[in-house]
Amino acid sequence: MVTGELVSQSIVNGLLLGGIYAVAALGLSLVFGIMDIVNLAHGHMLMVGAYVAILLFAATGITPLLGMFLAIGLLFVLGVVLQKVLLKHVVGEGIEQPIIILFGLALILQNIGQLVLGGDARTADLGIPGSGIDLGFVFLSLPRTVTFVVAVLLIVSTWAFLQYTRTGQAIRATAQNRTAAKHMGIDTDRIYVITLGIGTALAGAAGALLSMLFPIDPYIGWSYLLKAFAVVVLGGVGSILGTLVGGVVLGVSENLGALYLGGGYRNVVSLLIFLGVLLLKPEGLFGSGGDGE
Amino acid sequence: MVNDDSPVTRRSYLKGTAGAAAMASLAGCAFGGGGGGSDDTLTIAGTVPETGAFSSLGQDLRRGYELGQARMNEQLDRDVELILQDDESDAQTLRQNLQEMTSNNDVNMIWGSFSSLLVTAGSAFAENQNLPFLGIAFAYEEPHRNDNYEWTYSPFPKSRDVARSTLGTLDLIPEGDRPNRIGIWEPNSGWGKEQAEYWENRLGEAGYDIVLRETFEIGSQDFSTLISQSQSADVEVLLSNPTPGGGITAVNQMQSNNWSPKMLKFVRGADPSAWWSALGDAGAYALMCPGWVPGLTGNGNQQLRETYMSEYETESQYMPVNVGGSYNLTQVALQAVQAAGSIEADAIQSALRSETFQTVIGEFGFEDNGLPAEGELTAPTGQWWDGAQRLAYPNTDSERSLEFRYPIPPWSER
Repeated sequence: MVTGELVSQSIVNGLLLGGIYAVAALGLSLVFGIMDIVNLAHGHMLMVGAYVAILLFAATGITPLLGMFLAIGLLFVLGVVLQKVLLKHVVGEGIEQPIIILFGLALILQNIGQLVLGGDARTADLGIPGSGIDLGFVFLSLPRTVTFVVAVLLIVSTWAFLQYTRTGQAIRATAQNRTAAKHMGIDTDRIYVITLGIGTALAGAAGALLSMLFPIDPYIGWSYLLKAFAVVVLGGVGSILGTLVGGVVLGVSENLGALYLGGGYRNVVSLLIFLGVLLLKPEGLFGSGGDGE
Repeated sequence: MVNDDSPVTRRSYLKGTAGAAAMASLAGCAFGGGGGGSDDTLTIAGTVPETGAFSSLGQDLRRGYELGQARMNEQLDRDVELILQDDESDAQTLRQNLQEMTSNNDVNMIWGSFSSLLVTAGSAFAENQNLPFLGIAFAYEEPHRNDNYEWTYSPFPKSRDVARSTLGTLDLIPEGDRPNRIGIWEPNSGWGKEQAEYWENRLGEAGYDIVLRETFEIGSQDFSTLISQSQSADVEVLLSNPTPGGGITAVNQMQSNNWSPKMLKFVRGADPSAWWSALGDAGAYALMCPGWVPGLTGNGNQQLRETYMSEYETESQYMPVNVGGSYNLTQVALQAVQAAGSIEADAIQSALRSETFQTVIGEFGFEDNGLPAEGELTAPTGQWWDGAQRLAYPNTDSERSLEFRYPIPPWSER
């Protein structure tokens, strides 16, 4: 029997999970919205970030919350190098070439992961003593609560960066009209480098957070890419608020679907919502419907 | 049928392996590098998952098979060649490997990999080629009944045996302390459904109260809803057959949600050593039914242990469970070939159908569809304790078995 307490617990669990989904999708949404590139290697970059945090935790006991900053730094560099070496030649040249390059990169990262670390799933834990919070009608798991708070902080920080810094404003201007931005003196090539760096760094941060909740293996990239893509479409490409809402909708609908229909239908419910949004509001819940942000 | 309590020495093991290697080299020269055995050589093809999702089990399977091959070389009046390849935990790769091995060699028998997915892929290939096939780590019964198996034989505890073993384990608990409320987490797969039905029927008939049976998606990483439902239903005994990754995730989330059943059995999920390396003490008390567990006695168990310990450097006094499981398969192969007196496929098939086998998991025969005869083989239940899997049920006098640890204390007391 589904009790009110079970429903509350499922909603809270979904909400906490949704925050992680949102931060996992944020980098994909930014790159898609600003550079018009679907980063097919986004899930695999997330996997790399997770492994950075896990290996650091295993070697030193440093919590993945701090390991996350190393993952952010490494993945930012990866994004910068990727844009400067490979993608700069194909950005704006159509959708196919970046997709081929990024698909290849995803396979390379997966195979490197498998060769270096093996196929076994690994996980880290919070590394901070403490237990969950019992509110009576719901129980807040400590790792989920902490990762949710950090995820929201990351999302708000990204929003503030885009809103209030000169570089952020230049990124938004480039997203709206690259040619006009160039004429205004913005170095759009540099903006693309920064954007991809931020996008991949966010993937690394999401991976580090996920490593505290779920096991990570070299093959997880595709499943997280799919979830991130669903969140981006739900929320609207390039919309930070939309990404947060999309993540929460996905997390809550998965949990309620599992509760009412059974865990076997967990993804069916969320994908039905995804299809519904595509049919009724293809630009997403918070998408502008036009170009750019 | 066989006397297998005489130890295999390191020298005889090396002699057998070297002999097989020499024969393989000579055969390779004779066939222009194509490999394959002579008329007298028993050639066995097989795959193990040395990379991919099941890679943590590949080495153990290989070791059990290789120890068994050495034993076969000693016991049979012919050379035994074993060709093993990595199937990368992938059914398509497994099929390609088997195709290549059977094309380039005169293969007489095929040995399976790990999990229903990979074993049934190998079995389908063997059925098509009319070659005897032996597979373990494959509890799913339905393919035996529905796929008209003629060449597939599975010396391994099946779903019904797992349920029998679960009931036996519960019977170890004094009646006054025995839990009654059973929860079943059912993976949305054919085997998941089959196993859940056996548990529900067998335990229900025995008077247990099935208070929860919920499905989950294979590959799911979020068990929080199932945990909440189990807590709400006051589940005391939790039974499931998740993947190893899923099982580890579920226990991690039980801990972070501060809930634990009094007894936990994760068939296949708690099989690999990765369980303990990922969970540490949080993985203690978990039960599994991997086919073989340290603590079993008789039928060559002592000799297997001595050989393993002399061949492989290991700090633990407990062998990995899948070494025993795969070695048990090689004992069936050995005895079938001995009984057949031939390496012809028909003769081996006939022996597999008619003989009774004595292996490290007991004494049993096969039904025509390749299932082990009901109720015959031992379906041991192991329990994780201090980093090792040890026999909890049935009771034996081995020092490597343990007294079943029950109940699992709350997280705050662990």
